[in-house]
Amino acid sequence: MFNSLDISTSALLAQRTRMDAISGNIANLSTTRNEAGESVPYQPRFVVFKTDDQVKTPEGAMGVRVDSVEISQKEPLWRYQPGHPDAQHDGPHKGYVAYPNIDMTTEFVDSLNATRAYEANIGVIEATKSMFSQSLKIIG
Amino acid sequence: MTAEGKMLPALFNSSSIPVLEKVVGFTEARHNVLAGNIANIDTPGYRAQDLSPVQFQNQLKEAIETRREQATQPVGTSAIDGTDGEDPFAGLHDTMKSLLYHDDSDNDLERQVAALTKNQMQYNLAVTIMTNQFRLLQAAISEQA
Repeated sequence: MFNSLDISTSALLAQRTRMDAISGNIANLSTTRNEAGESVPYQPRFVVFKTDDQVKTPEGAMGVRVDSVEISQKEPLWRYQPGHPDAQHDGPHKGYVAYPNIDMTTEFVDSLNATRAYEANIGVIEATKSMFSQSLKIIG
Repeated sequence: MTAEGKMLPALFNSSSIPVLEKVVGFTEARHNVLAGNIANIDTPGYRAQDLSPVQFQNQLKEAIETRREQATQPVGTSAIDGTDGEDPFAGLHDTMKSLLYHDDSDNDLERQVAALTKNQMQYNLAVTIMTNQFRLLQAAISEQA
């Protein structure tokens, strides 16, 4: 059986995963190569949430979990840097370097959003804890 | 049932303890539901759910009135079980159906947190009164206030 603590914890986990994706995106703001060392720019990741019916209270309240991590398929940002080792040698983008198409504003707004949602769930956990300790006072 | 067996229920049921017990049970269940809403604050397409405090209070009121009518005999908790009529715990319903955010969810944090806080205060109130009731009983039993 699950209670509101499990539900709030599931949200904390989900928001933290989202925060990980955001920090990964910001860290790789100017990454022009992939993990194999090829000249493929980093593509930003986005976490998609889903209601989790595995974490469910008897009343039907449900937790949340990460459904998938989507990789953006947006066109990279082209910057003209002919001397760069990853500059295109031919084609329409000759002399241009492909940079990840990451919007800083979006990422920071998302990170604020994730932080606030995390805090909200911490608040619920505090409320749950105070209810538990209140009910223990009945015994004393 | 023996006379001793009947004495304790009568002792508790003559007070407001069974009523408070129901209030505590309901607010706890509603707390879980509201916690679920806050957990799903960023879930696309999620619809906020709630248990109806109005429905619960109406049923509790009816049950208390029933108990008052039968006050001559000791009443078991069955009188306020709310077995007649609809079960307030089963009344899980979508709170709003009109206003949606762009991600097809109608969950807003302010409303949920406000509901959660009110619900928590109601819970604390019921628990505090219940604690006092037990203290009074204890005082009566040990013959000292």
